Amino acid sequence: MIAKETILQRVQALPALSTAVAELASLRDDPLATALAYERVIRPDPALSTNFLRLANSAHFGTRHEIKTVRAALALLGTKRLYEVVVGAALHGVLPERLPGYEVDLPGFWRHCAAVAALSERLSTELRVGAPDFVFTAGLLHDIGKLVIGSFLAAESAEVLARVRGSEKTFIDAEHEVLGWDHSEIGAEVARAWRLPEAVVDTARWHHSPSECPTANRTLVDMVHVADGLAHSLGMGADTGELARRIEVPAMQRLHVTARTLERIACDSLANIKDLCHSLEGNAGRTS
Amino acid sequence: MTPTLAGAATNLITVDIADIRVSKDPASVIVTYALGSCVAVIVHDPIRRIGGMIHYMLPLAQTAPDKARGNPAMFADTGIPVLFRSVYELGCRKEDLVVKVAGGGSLYDDKGTFEIGRRNYVVLRKMFWKTGVMIAAEDVGGSKSRTVRLNVGTGQVVVRSQGEETEL
Repeated sequence: MIAKETILQRVQALPALSTAVAELASLRDDPLATALAYERVIRPDPALSTNFLRLANSAHFGTRHEIKTVRAALALLGTKRLYEVVVGAALHGVLPERLPGYEVDLPGFWRHCAAVAALSERLSTELRVGAPDFVFTAGLLHDIGKLVIGSFLAAESAEVLARVRGSEKTFIDAEHEVLGWDHSEIGAEVARAWRLPEAVVDTARWHHSPSECPTANRTLVDMVHVADGLAHSLGMGADTGELARRIEVPAMQRLHVTARTLERIACDSLANIKDLCHSLEGNAGRTS
Repeated sequence: MTPTLAGAATNLITVDIADIRVSKDPASVIVTYALGSCVAVIVHDPIRRIGGMIHYMLPLAQTAPDKARGNPAMFADTGIPVLFRSVYELGCRKEDLVVKVAGGGSLYDDKGTFEIGRRNYVVLRKMFWKTGVMIAAEDVGGSKSRTVRLNVGTGQVVVRSQGEETEL
């Protein structure tokens, strides 16, 4: 069992998410914010700006014209989309080239994040629950707890994988056995440390047990939970324990989602997921 | 880890999800990564030293006929015939082909909600039964992800899963 202080220290030791993310969140709440204000947040950070423009032009965001400036992005995508793109660019910026634990590299981890984000969003459209705010972002960031385990607890994560293999254990149970923590609990701490919205904190915390989510964000968590399962099932996992997980039947029932619906969503999203990956590949370098 | 198949092969051909690749270069290795519920069908002609692989995602094109027209490799029923036609076009004959199958895994799922892997495999078996294709070897099902490599020169197929490699 690892002490809470140790975990919190590790959370603090992660690279900080660009401050642009928190600043944009408050800009979003300001109806009088100008394009200039958005530019002032994003442009000073060159790495973020580069990733931002690459990602903004990926097919998932569906603009017909090439976006070359923050101002154009704001006009063509709107503030909600702009925030999602910035979070994606910022997340990609803090992912290490290779996580020592969980046998995963940057392209693999990013692929999983992008897949769950795109599938969650597509699911919310399909189910006509009305895209809850932050559905793409919450999907994108659901596994940030794995960054802590994969970065700082390599030996322990190897033990987690060993316990999952050849057993009926779920990944999350194995993490609990080895660490006394699982990546959803740690993920919620990371989301708080990064000052992310409550919806993102809740999704990171409950995406493996959506029925336990005590807040109004449960529908969002349900969708990310199902999208996460679908992504792993399609081989877009973030670790080698990919399939060792359960899908909560109550979550499926609350969403009224069928296997056929999931298959169609997978078909519809595949090209966009590939494009979300390719758009940032240039500065990542494939290692798999 | 030293890849078992590396040897002298230099030409690594990657089969993406919903993708088909064939090769007549004996120095090539065809590989596909992370088959979860998806299925890989691997065909090899030992006489002509030609190989091919499909990594399909879903069983039936009726799920999304428009997608199937653009990319038949997404589905078993539209993709597998394309794989066989592609190696026939390179001169292979059906009776010479060695056919192997891997993938079709599933999440822990008591209620069968996420039964994509099982359905992917069932459709394949039906198709092969109808067309008289024999499966020489397979590694399917279970809750694990697999990476598969085919050495086109030798026909050797290696499945890597959960840190271990086995020859198929």
